[in-house]
Amino acid sequence: MTTVAATSHVAHAHHDDRSFVRKYIFSTDHKIIGIQFLFVSLFFLLVGGLLAMQMRWQLGFPGKPMPGGGILPDTMAPGGVLLPEYYIQLVTMHGTFMVFFAIMPLLVGVYANFLIPLKIGAHDMAFPRINMASFWSALLAGLIMLAGFFVPDGAPRAGWTSYAPLSARPDLSGASYGQMLWCVSLVFLGLSSILGSLNYITTIINNRAPGMTWFRMPLSVWALFITAILGLLALPVLSGAVIMLLFDQTIGTHFFDPVVGGQALLWQHLFWFFGHPEVYILILPAMGMVSDIIANGSRKPIFGYHSMVFAIVAIAFLGWLVWGHHMFMSGMNPTLGSSFMVSTLIIAVPSAIKTFNWMGTMWRGNLRFHVPMLNAVAFVAMFVIGGLSGIFMAATPVDMFIHDTYFIVAHLHYVLFGGSLFALFGAITYWYPKMFGKLMSERWGKVHFWLTFVLYNLVFFPMHTLGMAGHMRRIYDPTQYEFLKPYQPLNEFISISAFALFAVQAIFALNFILSLKWGKRAPQNPWEDNGLEWSLPAPAPHGNWETVPTVYRGPYEFSSPEVPEDYLPQYRKLPTDREPARAPVAGH
Amino acid sequence: METAHRKHPNYVLIWVYLAILTAIEIGVAFMSHLPKQIIIPALVFFAVWKALLVALYFMHLKFEPRKLLILAIVPLPLAAIFVLAAMSEHVW
Amino acid sequence: MAHATATVDMMHPPAPAERGLDVYNNKLGMWVFLASEVMFFTALIGSYIILRFGAPGEWAKPGVVLNVPVTAFNTFLLICSSVTMVKAYAAVADGQTHFLRFRPFSGGLKFWMLATIIGGAMFVGVQAYEYTHLVHHGFLPSGAREGSEVAELVASGVVPAATIGLYGSTFYTMTGFHGFHVTCGVISMAYLYVTKALRGKYSRHDYRGVEVIGLYWHFVDLVWIILFTIVYLI
Repeated sequence: MTTVAATSHVAHAHHDDRSFVRKYIFSTDHKIIGIQFLFVSLFFLLVGGLLAMQMRWQLGFPGKPMPGGGILPDTMAPGGVLLPEYYIQLVTMHGTFMVFFAIMPLLVGVYANFLIPLKIGAHDMAFPRINMASFWSALLAGLIMLAGFFVPDGAPRAGWTSYAPLSARPDLSGASYGQMLWCVSLVFLGLSSILGSLNYITTIINNRAPGMTWFRMPLSVWALFITAILGLLALPVLSGAVIMLLFDQTIGTHFFDPVVGGQALLWQHLFWFFGHPEVYILILPAMGMVSDIIANGSRKPIFGYHSMVFAIVAIAFLGWLVWGHHMFMSGMNPTLGSSFMVSTLIIAVPSAIKTFNWMGTMWRGNLRFHVPMLNAVAFVAMFVIGGLSGIFMAATPVDMFIHDTYFIVAHLHYVLFGGSLFALFGAITYWYPKMFGKLMSERWGKVHFWLTFVLYNLVFFPMHTLGMAGHMRRIYDPTQYEFLKPYQPLNEFISISAFALFAVQAIFALNFILSLKWGKRAPQNPWEDNGLEWSLPAPAPHGNWETVPTVYRGPYEFSSPEVPEDYLPQYRKLPTDREPARAPVAGH
Repeated sequence: METAHRKHPNYVLIWVYLAILTAIEIGVAFMSHLPKQIIIPALVFFAVWKALLVALYFMHLKFEPRKLLILAIVPLPLAAIFVLAAMSEHVW
Repeated sequence: MAHATATVDMMHPPAPAERGLDVYNNKLGMWVFLASEVMFFTALIGSYIILRFGAPGEWAKPGVVLNVPVTAFNTFLLICSSVTMVKAYAAVADGQTHFLRFRPFSGGLKFWMLATIIGGAMFVGVQAYEYTHLVHHGFLPSGAREGSEVAELVASGVVPAATIGLYGSTFYTMTGFHGFHVTCGVISMAYLYVTKALRGKYSRHDYRGVEVIGLYWHFVDLVWIILFTIVYLI
């Protein structure tokens, strides 16, 4: 039985006759919502990048007028020279936009929405209108956050972690409305995330197609499921914290003000109790998608599928117990600190299991280095580096020296850029055909990958050195310290590499945008993959399937001896396959 | 398929229990001659008892699939860990 | 079956599926949402516990600043509304969607649901009254207003000065957000009552909305049970 004949069994849904507005603007279709998240999040990724470029100008060339700085008002950069007050706004907003409005929505808002119903065989999410509300809430949050730049006193200045009492007192931080808008924006973002999570969780539990048992789900879906649970339980804590901060700022409450009995450390506990699960939200979906891509690119089943699942669960579970490692230098109870050191060292283990499993998958595989595979393999390598630097931090005595230095900045960028963002470049390229019916250019994808990979390492690896030398975070002018002056050439080098890195992203942007119109028409299953989504035409139609497919096997049956092709889709029925154990029931 | 239980628990009886427990709580709270170490655990105990009555009977958790009960319980240990850890700041 | 999205939202989904949790989507979704609400109140109530445990001095004694008798009545009211809610659920599950029948006397969905809405609205009303009363006497989220009765209590030492600011902050935030949740519940329930219950859209075959709003309602009652104890009585 040929591939073509196999796919023709799975009938897709008919054309739909909704209006343009219902179809593309106020859509309840999970795929459209995912694409909406994609465009908005890429925009915020650009915003975050522009903020970083300004920061790198100041760090590389302190006190020099920035090219193009003339368009900034005098309150920010008189004569193009960035003011310290503006620099700290850049620092705060770069982190805020990248974490909350770029990486998180790109991984979850886009791929949870787009992939989950497709990969488990559902027509749509369990609650399509709540899904739509989740997108619009996130967009509103993003706009509120952007507004922070345009209010009196400008954007918030307390860092993306917004520690109190600095963030609660405009007389201390210099930012008033901006800091309040930060809180309001995150309330809406939290709402968006919680609504999304409840959709993903319910859909995965209840709406899997017949035969799609838990241990036949692709790892991308497992990762998104566990991520949704993390988001469901962590974001409300942030919402509560941010509301208390907002009250401290506006109606005179005293939650975090030690002068009147409040506890500054309470903010840190609340924020990081959310914040640590948040960083796992920022990596787990990437790990899941990388697993799918690496299995595909190796033409082999994922090595140790079950241990991959348990590793994801273990990371998520342990992730609740490690938050204090962000607070080793805060003056917290030292015994409590020690317990966090132990739990943090332990959490390295499941991540290591995953790394070895990826390597085991690739080992002696029939490797295809298509663009998604290149990015996925880079993910593994960069994540290892980021993870190893994390071990340094886990050890409290070491962290005493490297906390709040560029060593941390290197670590977080290795896991978030080297990790999540490379995974996203791969994922965007991989599922682009299913989203838009076109292929991105393979050649320009490779050019973008290699340039990005080299430049990215030139930017962030030297930051380990800077951090070890004592270069602190958020600092406006490193040359004010004698001991940092010898490292200024390194700062310059990093900045120039960063400008080049940013410029190179234009290749990806152009590839993405131009392929929408002029890309090669995509075949139904361009990567010869096994997931249910590839049984649908590209782009997938509204409602996905006429009747949901039946699933006969796991998602990684590559190079199976049962068929001549080197892949065997989940939905393809072989003569030796039986129908799923339980007869499909219309109800549950 | 939703198992429609024909026999509902006696909701009015649960209501009576809740009312009695509330009255006991208020009584205990104002017995100021008792030490804090007795009053606080006692009040928490009664509050938890009432909460369990509402969760198990009014919210039907007693009659739902076991996994739903687990789902409902999952946040509680997280809440406990957070509060206890932050409280330990003030212990020594 | 052209427009699949329109037909997903049903008590028994039309699509064949793997066995899930044996709980229909809307109910599962509400329980998942309630799990997130537990975490939200954990942040607020947990912070209260942490702040009080680490407070620089004694907390005000129960009943000195806050009106326990009125709130005790309010607690009773909310518990009653939880009972009327579950009676509404039991009624519709048994197919009793009427308002009142007299021989034999029995209340149906329309009666019990209305009673719940009224009970909830009264709770919010009493809380609003309590808030205005407290603010009038000088108890604010920031502590005691200068020159007010509460400020005098602080000055005379009946209410500890070191913690009155925290007392106000935590009281208003916790009870305020609880009240906000009750208000949202009342509004949602009233909406369902008018658009669904009164129009006969609920039956013994499909009463999902009643059950789901009921879960939310009981949760809000449950949170209040905890709040009443630790805010007013301890």
